[in-house]
Amino acid sequence: MLEIKNLHARIGDREILKGLTLTVNPGEVHAIMGPNGAGKSTLSYILAGKEDYEVTEGEVLLNGESILDLEPNERSVAGLFLAFQYPIEIPGVATMTFLKAALNAHRKAKGQDELTTPEFMKLVKGVSEKLNITSEMLRRPVNVGFSGGEKKRAEIMQMALLQPSICILDETDSGLDIDALKVVAEGVNALRSPDRAFVVITHYQRLLDHIVPDIVHVLSDGRIVRTGGPELALDLEKNGYAAYVADAAA
Amino acid sequence: MVATPVRTPAEQALAARYPAERTSLPGTADVIAIRDAAFGGVDRTGLPHRRVEDWKYTDLRARLKTFPPAAGAADVARILIAAPAVEGDKARRLVIANGRYRPELSDLKDLEPGLSVFSLATALEAGDAVVLAALKLDDGIAANTAVALNTAFMTDGLVITVAEGAEVARPVELVHIAEGEPAASTAVRHLVTVGKGARLTLIETIESLDTVAHQSNVLTMIEVGEGAKVDHIRLQLEPDEAVSLTTLVARIDREANFDTFNAALGAGLARAQIFAEFAGRDAEAGFRGITMLSGRRHADTTLSLVHGAENCQSRELYKAVIDGEARSVFAGRIAVPAHAQKTDARMMTASLLLSEEAEADAKPELEIFADDVQCGHGATCGAIDDDLLFYLLSRGISKVEAESMLILAFLGEAIDEIQNQAVHDALIHRVEGWLKARAA
Repeated sequence: MLEIKNLHARIGDREILKGLTLTVNPGEVHAIMGPNGAGKSTLSYILAGKEDYEVTEGEVLLNGESILDLEPNERSVAGLFLAFQYPIEIPGVATMTFLKAALNAHRKAKGQDELTTPEFMKLVKGVSEKLNITSEMLRRPVNVGFSGGEKKRAEIMQMALLQPSICILDETDSGLDIDALKVVAEGVNALRSPDRAFVVITHYQRLLDHIVPDIVHVLSDGRIVRTGGPELALDLEKNGYAAYVADAAA
Repeated sequence: MVATPVRTPAEQALAARYPAERTSLPGTADVIAIRDAAFGGVDRTGLPHRRVEDWKYTDLRARLKTFPPAAGAADVARILIAAPAVEGDKARRLVIANGRYRPELSDLKDLEPGLSVFSLATALEAGDAVVLAALKLDDGIAANTAVALNTAFMTDGLVITVAEGAEVARPVELVHIAEGEPAASTAVRHLVTVGKGARLTLIETIESLDTVAHQSNVLTMIEVGEGAKVDHIRLQLEPDEAVSLTTLVARIDREANFDTFNAALGAGLARAQIFAEFAGRDAEAGFRGITMLSGRRHADTTLSLVHGAENCQSRELYKAVIDGEARSVFAGRIAVPAHAQKTDARMMTASLLLSEEAEADAKPELEIFADDVQCGHGATCGAIDDDLLFYLLSRGISKVEAESMLILAFLGEAIDEIQNQAVHDALIHRVEGWLKARAA
């Protein structure tokens, strides 16, 4: 589903990814853990197509097709979704207008007609209720005035609406209290399916108690330095990243 | 004074037209004397250029290529079938076609008690003393070139009076239409007096049925009486070929409430001038507007506000969206004389540049002589925020649509202050049309 091969990328003169390779199959949940500065957020931005980064080597395939030359919106309609670590506030753009534009862009790409307003409202209502997103929140401009937890729930709501095939969750647990974390994790778990995969990027093992991964990777200094099962996350929680940082430096 | 060495074609046309037309323009000998004085000033100095501070960013002498002849009579049939600029509103439409008030095209049915409407030309011909007195403006305003040309060449307009205490529920819409070819000039002046405690919503639309280089000069004077409430909205919608000069002169009396909004959406060269004065204490006013430019268009908003009385509050917000090689100018001056304590003024202008060649010039000025005041000003200028754009793109929204959403959001802060729903909707419709044309 998602194949990242020997990916090298830099921002300005600084090389951040130094030969990252990762294969994610349909139905799998991968966790990427790593210390600050390992390149976790860079990876998520590069996958989503942010302009600031320059890919110098390697490739990224989504369902067998290279996505590195696609615009961010083309990647989105191709099935890739990034849940932002820091969802952006957009004053003046109504949440519903935004959601409708996004949904219709996806439908258009699939050759489907635009949703009618009642169809759209019904769809949003169904998804938002499960995530404790109130109609009052939906009336606000995109993410404006949302708490950290509300923003993360709103990201999962967008994910549920757009039904992507590969979901990248960039530190979705940061800024969440334990109750919000559960709501977000339940939202993600509800979307798990045999034809959808997840890459969960996180600092802490805590999120992985709720979104149980199939495979755990350690990212350090721009490379995957260790891959294992869920037990690897527990080991990291206990012993920290020190051993891997040293490995990478060696 | 530096003599203007060579007359431009527009100045030559002006110098030829005025002597030929002065006695055939409406008005008694007193009116002709007022016209002569106004024209004499322009004739002596020539058109203002970039070394004249008030016209620094809008060099009228360089930009005004011609001064076309006075407009002839309009074809009424074409005006009757033209779609209105503001649809579905309940406004009382008063039509000024090719510089002449056309009562037969206007809605004069069931005038509300206290509302009176008559033609300026008729008043000038009759030498109406009140109207003549109202033509006299402060020296600084009278000498302004756009104002002086309006005084010299005005053919008609409306004299609107709202009596003390009268609440005019239906908005009054002044519909300015230029019709016909070839290009022609019009000069129209309106005198609007709103009495003590009265209410009025005044809409102005300025448009042309033909894509030719019409030049329109509309001057609207509004007296906002004590405790009165006046809402003024102008949609300036001429084609790119046109030149549009508008001037608002507002005098705001004690405890009055005045709002004015200018949408600069048309004309290749547009200048919207506002001369406003707080003439009595405890009044409030809002000055807002949007400018949308593409191609090589040039739009100037020049505001001069005298906070001339104690404890008055004003808010100024002007937003511009500039694409192509277009240029937007905002000059805002707020003067607070020594006696105007407790003045509260906040002036803000923001420009969104959509291309490398787009230009925004902002010149806020505060002249404060009172010591107990709150006056602020801010000016921003920038491109669309990459992070906002990326977020929208990452959800599948195309770049042009995402940019349109962000442009609309940027303008919304100003547009959403418009209270009249029909005008608000008409404006949003125009803005969306502009965005669609850009995306195409």
